[in-house]
Amino acid sequence: MSEHVILFVGPMGAGKTTAIRALSEIEVVSTEAANSDRDASDKPTTTVALDYGEINVNAAEKVRLYGVPGQKRFDFMWSILAERAEGALLLVNADAENPVETAIEYVKEFYALYERGGIVIGLTRADLVPESLIEEYANALADEMPDVLIPVFTADARSNADMTVLLMTLVANVELKQAVMASRALSSGRAR
Amino acid sequence: MTIATHLDPKYISRGELALSGLKDLAPSLSFATFLTEDGFSVVSIAGAALDSNRFASMASSTQALADAVARELKLGDNEFVIVAAEQGHVVQVRVEGHPLILAALFTDKETIGKSLAAARRTARRLNVFLSAYTGPIDLPE
Ligand SMILES: Nc1nc2c(ncn2[C@@H]2O[C@H](COP(=O)(O)OP(=O)(O)O)[C@@H](O)[C@H]2O)c(=O)[nH]1
Ligand SMILES: [Mg+2]
Repeated sequence: MSEHVILFVGPMGAGKTTAIRALSEIEVVSTEAANSDRDASDKPTTTVALDYGEINVNAAEKVRLYGVPGQKRFDFMWSILAERAEGALLLVNADAENPVETAIEYVKEFYALYERGGIVIGLTRADLVPESLIEEYANALADEMPDVLIPVFTADARSNADMTVLLMTLVANVELKQAVMASRALSSGRAR
Repeated sequence: MTIATHLDPKYISRGELALSGLKDLAPSLSFATFLTEDGFSVVSIAGAALDSNRFASMASSTQALADAVARELKLGDNEFVIVAAEQGHVVQVRVEGHPLILAALFTDKETIGKSLAAARRTARRLNVFLSAYTGPIDLPE
């Protein structure tokens, strides 16, 4: 049985915990604590260590889903969890202050995962902002990082269907990258 | 408007008071902080070399992971957390009735049992101080 490990990253309130709960086929392991920083995100709880869920893509493939705390003060958890991951699903809430800049920041932070397997961006809470803004976000991202190939979707973190599209895109990316790297290793092995 | 827990003068002043007794209970104490569940340091003592915010964030994660394990294994409420390392140990205890955790770092000169007793006592002391608190901030809503 082959296995993938995907990390859900992005700012507090983007929907990482919600998305893992929407996707997971097992009961999610969560580490929610009372949120005392209502200015940062007005929700009752916040993740302080990790979320963990699992999903079976088919009989032969399992995906392990890990979520991080969004706040920078928990970045030691980011490095611990990024070590095991093959790719990142970056969620950014469209109603945040500067969603594009935030997205770019997180791509840079998790660039090792982009190189290892890939990053897919989900723009969440898009129903809470004017629609025209969304295209702008995607374009600005492409302008800022022209060499980086990162698909951007709008998605509702509460929706299993939306999150499945993002996750499958990312898993396909990861598998493609792994196949390319394997064949490169093979051909350089032959050349020697 | 509600005030963020880690900026609440009630928690800061009473926390300071409770922490001040901890060093007497366990002389090898090298750092201690009361933190919010979500990892903000409210008040801390000793150990200027230590980044109290980082310590508080890590304590919050550790506490939540230990709680999650107790929950997964259906062991009931998690009472305390101990990290015992070569050069010292960290003890974490919740403050009953308040959204706060005490996290304290001791060198290995202290036995873990003594440190745990001291930390528990300090958390209880904060609870008592808070119930006795009648500062200006404590006005009924
Ligand atoms: N209206 C709306 N709410 C959303 C959408 N996606 C997520 N949410 C909500 O946004 C909040 C996200 O919180 P949470 O999952 O804790 O975020 P985390 O900090 O990234 O883990 C939850 O209350 C979700 O129900 C969306 O597309 N539209
Ligand atoms: Mg979360």
